[in-house]
Amino acid sequence: MKRYSLFYFIGQAFRGLWRNGVMSFASIAILMSCLVVIGGFTLLVYNIDVNLEDFGLQNEIIVYLNFDLEEEAIVAIGDKLDSLDHVESVTRTTKSQALQQMKQEYEVYADVTEEENPLSDSFTIIYQENEKVPELKYQIQQIEGYRKLSDKADLASTLESFKNGIMLIFIWFLAILVVVSVFIIVNTIKLSVFARRHEISVMRYVGATGWFITLPFVIEGIIIGLVSSITAYFVEWYFYSYIETMATEDMKMITIASFDSIYLYVLIGFIGLGVLTGIIGSSISLGKYLKQ
Amino acid sequence: MIDFVNVKKAYPNGTFALKGVNLHIDDGEFVFIVGHSGAGKTTLMKLLLREERPTSGKLIVGDYNLTEMSNFKVPYYRRELGVVFQDFRLFPKKTVYENVAFAMEVVGTPKKMIRRRVPAILNTVNLAEKQDSFPQEISGGEQQRVALARALANNPKIIIADEPTGNIDPKMSLEIMNLLIKINKLGKTVIVVTHEKNLVDYYKQRVVHLKDGLITEDKVGGMFQ
Repeated sequence: MKRYSLFYFIGQAFRGLWRNGVMSFASIAILMSCLVVIGGFTLLVYNIDVNLEDFGLQNEIIVYLNFDLEEEAIVAIGDKLDSLDHVESVTRTTKSQALQQMKQEYEVYADVTEEENPLSDSFTIIYQENEKVPELKYQIQQIEGYRKLSDKADLASTLESFKNGIMLIFIWFLAILVVVSVFIIVNTIKLSVFARRHEISVMRYVGATGWFITLPFVIEGIIIGLVSSITAYFVEWYFYSYIETMATEDMKMITIASFDSIYLYVLIGFIGLGVLTGIIGSSISLGKYLKQ
Repeated sequence: MIDFVNVKKAYPNGTFALKGVNLHIDDGEFVFIVGHSGAGKTTLMKLLLREERPTSGKLIVGDYNLTEMSNFKVPYYRRELGVVFQDFRLFPKKTVYENVAFAMEVVGTPKKMIRRRVPAILNTVNLAEKQDSFPQEISGGEQQRVALARALANNPKIIIADEPTGNIDPKMSLEIMNLLIKINKLGKTVIVVTHEKNLVDYYKQRVVHLKDGLITEDKVGGMFQ
């Protein structure tokens, strides 16, 4: 006895796909759409996380000082901030440094000179506990020379809630889309099995094993999953790159993770999910053939 | 050796297709199973092919106890059988050679052995010169001979033919029956399920009559009643 060539099974699988061209195409299109939507949600949640981290939102307060303060007064304010309870670190940003940063981020500031600098010195405070923020803010506001402060805790909490909402929708979407994809693959494979029913019946009578009969159909499911996932990857890449370019040019407040840094995860995730759906779909259609 | 010991088969709708069949067939025997529609012939065949399990009783074929055999062993058991159907079940897009080779390919027979064995089998059924023809290019009788060759491909111990002459003319029927006799003389057990009186009477082999799920007569050199 010999091991049967894998090419035989792959060849049979492609013949099955070809024979049910319309259904195969529909399966691939639906599974691909599902993967693109699932991928879109995942990338949205991932980018919210990236932005939350990027802002350092949850434990950072920026204290902006009055414009006309002398160097000595600024240093004194820095010392006072440092001595406050629950403060982990205090970092000063001079108005020159602030201007340089603005020049780097926004072209409109490119021609602004030091004399025209509209910014003030500021201190970035990293605090230890979220619950102490109101108390800390009150203490800062009592310091002479304080002009305003920027604390992004509210924005962080809004973004966090948004992310949780998205996650909830995502989980429901994932469940529904996976069920839809499995359903369509089940029907495609069933058609394929129906088209080969006479062949299968002869195979069974001459003693072909269950796996020999079913393997081409499982491979057919895997091919549907694989083609769908690779197509979905390129569609996702195209849309993501478009959004990435748009965000980089027009929405500088938002950080979008570069596709280059995540492409491998997207590709592996898509292939994993696509192939798994294909295997589950084909296995459901073939249950009775495995039982002999 | 095939042994039916008080075999009963009931279907989920409550119909008893077999009501206590006792039948012993020795290796190398030729047996006609005859009976009218609904007598239980098809169920008997399904039990032999292990498409169905007996509801009660014991069914042993060679080393296999079909009453208790697990699904996993079914393909290996079926390799001991060669099955011929009334409707031939040939693949129209495969040549005569490929149709026969297919039975060997799916059980993993090496190509070298297939190349050696298929022409020899086609020779046995007198179809050596038609090996490159497609089923639609040959007569019904020849198609049934191809089906017979396919049944012999894996060198089974038992040949089961379900109405093998049902779809062919009387002259061709004799040819097929002669081939089955020839195969039997090569040492294979041959079971032919039929309701063709003339053939049964002509060949004077062992005849098992089934009626309403029971064996009513079992006689060597018997006649169709």
